[in-house]
Amino acid sequence: MDITELSISQLVKNIKSGEISVKEVMKSYIENINKKESKIKAFIHLDIDNALKKAEELDRMREKNGVLFGVPFAVKDNINVLNTETTAGSKILKGYISPYDATAVEKVKKENAIIIGKTNMDEFAMGSSTENSAFFPTHNPVNVEYVPGGSSGGSAAAVKSKEVLAALGSDTGGSVREPASFCGIVGLKPTYGLVSRYGLIAFSSSLDQIGPLARNVEDAAVLLNVIAGFDSRDETSVNIEKKDYTALLGKEIKGKKIGIIKEITDFDLQQEIKSALNKTVDTLNKLQAEVIEVSIPHLKYALPVYYIIAPSEASANLARFDGVRYGLIREGNNLKETYQLTRTEGFGEEVKRRILIGTFALSSGYYDAYYLKASKVRRIIANEFENAFKKVDALLLPTTATTAFKIGEKKSPLEMYATDIFTIPVNLAGLPAISIPSGNDKKGLPIGMQLIGKWFKEEELLQIAYSIENGG
Amino acid sequence: MIDIEKIEHLAALELKEGEKEKIQKDIEEIIHYFEILKEVDTNGIEPYIYMKGAHLFLRKDQVKKGLDREDLKKNRILSQNKFYKVKRIMGE
Repeated sequence: MDITELSISQLVKNIKSGEISVKEVMKSYIENINKKESKIKAFIHLDIDNALKKAEELDRMREKNGVLFGVPFAVKDNINVLNTETTAGSKILKGYISPYDATAVEKVKKENAIIIGKTNMDEFAMGSSTENSAFFPTHNPVNVEYVPGGSSGGSAAAVKSKEVLAALGSDTGGSVREPASFCGIVGLKPTYGLVSRYGLIAFSSSLDQIGPLARNVEDAAVLLNVIAGFDSRDETSVNIEKKDYTALLGKEIKGKKIGIIKEITDFDLQQEIKSALNKTVDTLNKLQAEVIEVSIPHLKYALPVYYIIAPSEASANLARFDGVRYGLIREGNNLKETYQLTRTEGFGEEVKRRILIGTFALSSGYYDAYYLKASKVRRIIANEFENAFKKVDALLLPTTATTAFKIGEKKSPLEMYATDIFTIPVNLAGLPAISIPSGNDKKGLPIGMQLIGKWFKEEELLQIAYSIENGG
Repeated sequence: MIDIEKIEHLAALELKEGEKEKIQKDIEEIIHYFEILKEVDTNGIEPYIYMKGAHLFLRKDQVKKGLDREDLKKNRILSQNKFYKVKRIMGE
């Protein structure tokens, strides 16, 4: 038995029955890390000694509790893990030691997962390739010349290369789903408000959401069970009944209505991705789901709306990085100069670009034309989704218009921004969505299909995703 | 043309020469791209600020243990007197 091939529930079952020890599990994964990490570079911090110690500790426990008991796990570096360095991929936070656990991390630890490291990311989650990390780029495990996607590229690469079994990422405009798609794994972005953002370093507060990266839909559902739930420390946390997100997995989807967005044809899709979409439609027909066409007429405006709102919120959120409380400091002659010197040296180019765009969009004389206008168009887009969901149970579209690109290939910011065209609308409306693998292109690079669900209906979204995953 | 110096000042950033021209050019290109939103009629549309399902709530007025001071101290800047140390800002 190859231990690293087991799903979460299989692995935990085997550990609890005494068939395998946590230490054996950890050793198998460490073997993969030793073999692959020098080429992949998924981690900013790795603590193997501590992981082994923790494994031994779990093996000594008489009561083996927790649905993630002994699961080797990774956390994106913009999520606080007590007593570890949390940099969000930025030089400005170098040396910052988290004084607390994020709520999602607290929950994962409570289920006895073993966090072995913090994963690489685009600085402050601003990017789609992990090339914007202040430290180094991460490589796609499928082909190391290609990017793993971003901004949760380290988490996706670590899961794909079996350095861990599962990981947490964050998704502001596609940062969980796009790397999942590029690496050929599953990535879930929950409904805004379902998972607490407490302890997630804020990029764009009305868009950010923590989500799992996993090998399959079932593992993603198991993880959502762990991390979902109301938290009074996040003022946008939504208090809804606790659900079992695995409950509908395997139940047939006959009669479900799945929408295809008409406007997708306005975009330039890679040929193999078009074919993969058609193949998925065939699968849905086979499963006796009803596939119908719906319209989101303002879809094409999602990208400019996002690139006004996200940088605007970021310009406010990133004001706290001034050298006073943590991380880098460059002393000037007065306080203002200290701020300027610290921020100018500490932030990378893309972060500065976005802070400046946001500052501009919020500045006196421009606010109405940019930020306010974008917020209004955002409502139009959200309303169009709401109307679509009166007719369908889920929407199907590719996660990205192309498969992964080569490291260093995309040059201009606008070119990079366009990567997220199909994932961004979901965050603007606050909806849940999942990316699942859907074959490879001619170069052998993975294709991802995206399903968008109704607000807070993750159980149904996961049910449909599971049926496609297993019914093809 | 955007007034890059004014924006830098507002954002407490000071771009280096060389970096400044490139970033200004990028930003102008990106802001130009935003013009496409002018096509959309937003008359009578309320801005979308609060997300669906979200409503602000009050926490119970209870005494709770905050973050551990020892853990906070690992971030060097908290001084012994429990205050953050900054450069003199008055009397300049």
